[in-house]
Amino acid sequence: MKVQYSYLKIFLPTALSQAKLADVFTKVGFECELDGPIIDFDVTPNRGDALSLRGLKREFQAHQSKKLKDTLSYKKLKFKKDKTVINKIDKTGCGNYHLMTITGLSSIKNLDSKKRNFLSAAGVPLISPLVDLGNYVMFEIGAPMHVFDLDLLDLPINVLFNFNNEPFQIIGGDLKNLEDSSLTIQDQKGVQAVAGIIGGEKTSVSKNTTSIAVEAAFFHPDKIVNQARKYGLATDASHRFERGVDPAIQKKALERFLFLLDDIAEYDAVKCIEGNSQALKTKFVSLSIERFNNFSGLMLTAKMISSLLQNLGFDLKSTNKKNLSFEVPSHRFDISLEEDLYEEILRCYGYDNIPINPPKRGPIRSKNKISITSALKTGLVFGGFKELMHMPFVSEENFMKLNSHSRKPAELLNPINENEPMMRNSLFEGLFSAINLNVKKGYSSLKVFESGNVFHSRGKNFIQHEHISGIVYNHEPQKSWDSKVIPYDFYSFKAEIYKLLLTLGVDNLQLEPNSNIKAFNFNSMNILSGKKVIGALGEIDLAVTHKLIKNTAFGFELYPEEISYNSKVIELKPISKFPSSTRDINILINKSHTYMDVQKILTNGSINFLNNFALVNTFEGKGIPDGLISMTLSFIFQSADKSLKDSEINDSMNQVLRTLKKSFKVEIRS
Amino acid sequence: MQIPQDLIDTAKFKLKSVQSEAEFFQLRSQYLGKKSYVISAFASLKSLDPIEKVLAAKELNILKGKLTTIFEEALEVIQHIDDASSLDVTLPADPYLVGAEHPISKVAERVMSYFSALNYQVFSGNEIETDYFNFEALNFPENHPARQMHDTFYIKSKSKSEYLLRTHTSNSQIHSMLREPLPLYMLSPGRVYRCDSDTTHLPMFTQIEGLVVDEDITFGDLKGIIINFLEYFFDEKMEVRFRPSYFPFTEPSAEVDIKFGDNGWLEILGCGMVHPNVLANCNIDTKKYRGFAFGMGIERLAMLRYGVQDIREFYSSNLDFLNQFTS
Repeated sequence: MKVQYSYLKIFLPTALSQAKLADVFTKVGFECELDGPIIDFDVTPNRGDALSLRGLKREFQAHQSKKLKDTLSYKKLKFKKDKTVINKIDKTGCGNYHLMTITGLSSIKNLDSKKRNFLSAAGVPLISPLVDLGNYVMFEIGAPMHVFDLDLLDLPINVLFNFNNEPFQIIGGDLKNLEDSSLTIQDQKGVQAVAGIIGGEKTSVSKNTTSIAVEAAFFHPDKIVNQARKYGLATDASHRFERGVDPAIQKKALERFLFLLDDIAEYDAVKCIEGNSQALKTKFVSLSIERFNNFSGLMLTAKMISSLLQNLGFDLKSTNKKNLSFEVPSHRFDISLEEDLYEEILRCYGYDNIPINPPKRGPIRSKNKISITSALKTGLVFGGFKELMHMPFVSEENFMKLNSHSRKPAELLNPINENEPMMRNSLFEGLFSAINLNVKKGYSSLKVFESGNVFHSRGKNFIQHEHISGIVYNHEPQKSWDSKVIPYDFYSFKAEIYKLLLTLGVDNLQLEPNSNIKAFNFNSMNILSGKKVIGALGEIDLAVTHKLIKNTAFGFELYPEEISYNSKVIELKPISKFPSSTRDINILINKSHTYMDVQKILTNGSINFLNNFALVNTFEGKGIPDGLISMTLSFIFQSADKSLKDSEINDSMNQVLRTLKKSFKVEIRS
Repeated sequence: MQIPQDLIDTAKFKLKSVQSEAEFFQLRSQYLGKKSYVISAFASLKSLDPIEKVLAAKELNILKGKLTTIFEEALEVIQHIDDASSLDVTLPADPYLVGAEHPISKVAERVMSYFSALNYQVFSGNEIETDYFNFEALNFPENHPARQMHDTFYIKSKSKSEYLLRTHTSNSQIHSMLREPLPLYMLSPGRVYRCDSDTTHLPMFTQIEGLVVDEDITFGDLKGIIINFLEYFFDEKMEVRFRPSYFPFTEPSAEVDIKFGDNGWLEILGCGMVHPNVLANCNIDTKKYRGFAFGMGIERLAMLRYGVQDIREFYSSNLDFLNQFTS
């Protein structure tokens, strides 16, 4: 709410400078921004009562340890019930409804320049003296008012939820289709205002108006909230009614209106009518002094507490040594619990005056474990990867590209960019764009990764998984200044990821050919921990990137939630004191068999004394028949309890040869 | 036979000025070559009588041995110098790429490291959430203007529950309070969403919220940990101000401002004592337990820490920007 400092200063009154005054209000919970001669008050949604000069004054006085005194002048009025003026009222939406009719208006003048400047500063357009006066009283006291042209109303008035769906022309001329949930002010011809939001064009005040009906009412906040939004409106009235207008001030507002009207117009007669109003429910909240002091860490007495609350309009109803009971003032919609009173007391006492305790420590829980995600991230960073972050919104096309057809997306109803309504189910899309952007900027070699959640829907549920995905983009072997070529191929990439996972101690780590990740081409592998897939790696399928990546790139995708590592207690094996022996063989094997096939057979072949084996060389081409590949394998034999004899090693090698021949019909070359 | 005693000293002295292997070998042949004193002296032993011959031979052998050792040691040094100086060590290393965590990750870790030391557990939670866990359970009644403070993304759903992208990580606090034993000291870091986008707002950003539920928790405990944390985070004594504010899930609520540079007071985080309705929604006995909660935007902290002007830079994947951060 924007208020002119010069006007507020007189209203409060105060001698404080603009900055000091803003500071006072900020400290009691109304954050202020200074904008030239204006103070802009940030009034939180629970404090509708402060959206007026009177409300601000109450807060200011309480801060000065004083109670609000009403120094305004009013013209006393008597209200009567009259069914010919106000007939039916839907009490579920309208708590009270008052009309003040004024006839024979003449010599209407503008409001004085101070009030006009005050309204302009508050952002309220000046329309006509009578409407401006209503707006002024709303800003002064806090009760929104509406001024109808009485001659254009076909009385009596009913306050009902809308039942006919004719378009309604609001002030300014726009047509709105009213919704059934909207409370409306209707005369005998139909809807003339949307309660608490805006009046109609037909019955609005004009230059020719000589009689008016001034409405002051209380509409229940829950019936007003979100209504204005439905019509694309946000009015000063709706802002206040949504947050709660004091239901006890409507008559006062009309009395104040009439008092001020005397300054700007002459008139013949005034009549005041009230509809059937609901009795106001009085709320009481009690407070235990001991509990409050425990809660705050303070040692306030009953007297101090009462005085702080009384300054805000709370009435002390009963008291004993331990408890205080207060009547909540009608303007405070936000108070219903003991803790609400704590806030009021502490706010006035000053948060800065509450003593500070040293930080408390929580209990040790077994779940306080190191996160696999941060371990993986650290590993990647030391491997030269840069971490990137992207927005998770993707287009339908991109979602389809990176997911199988049966995958259903999580889709936004109100996306910020209508071309990107889907939540990502893969982190690769963002990484593809990142590679593209940075290659365009001149980077020729990139290692990037992202860590984040991906989403899809399954039936009525939504599934979220954590992924860490990365790309190595090295479009040609790197050359150093001495022309040393450092090639980076699938196997270099595989080594990086494999090494990372081994270093972390992932249980029973295995790689198996062919993942079904759509970002990869056929050169891809699933990464498993035992039988559980914990990720995949492969060569990026350039077609999937839609020209975002134009040269060879490798990618990985890891699922931290699936990874368990270092979970087993390590069983140490005795270290052999006896020497090991190495033997190499060279075999020719059909290319339809993979190295993994060879590996599996030898691992499961229970070869005596075999400690380890490795592939040292492959060769195909010249001298090797088509369809075959030559592999050189190196075997290390060792025993835990003796030096091996040549004959024992020879026996083991024969076992190796027999196993390989039997399984793959290999030809032994040496 | 007269054996010169200064032979070793002069050899040592001359070796000191040797610069190359060639010079070395030249010098060595002077002392141990065919025409050197030692070798020629061996030849002249023949002319001596047997007793004298034995004594002289012994002495010559010792001398030859010492000289040989001196020259061997010197050769090693010279060869070593030659090897090392054959490299220009200032030439660049082989091609390499430098890794780095994202600045948002770094700042988040800095925040978490403070609270981890106080045994706060970490629960990240779901980003797609039901209306109940994002709003209702957190004391945002339906049709309350407080909901307008959050511009919410909604998700198409076949379910009766309304699904949305969480607007804060507080949903994770509700799940944790329902699931975990008390006392509870926890952090909920993660991504949150609001339909908003400009130089200081993004539709997605990162939040870390903290929650403590324990017996005898006071507002003073909350103030203490917040001030201590801010001083840890910014590495200096901070001027900190607590001022009343409003969040549906805390009562009382506070915004925390810090004095930062010449900008005067700057809002840094929100906090408060957990609203009794929230505790009750999580079946917690409000007579026995109280709690406090706090929450902060990581992008905002990162912008302050690194002086970033445009929040969108963080999500641009522009390496010119990101390369300025190291881990």
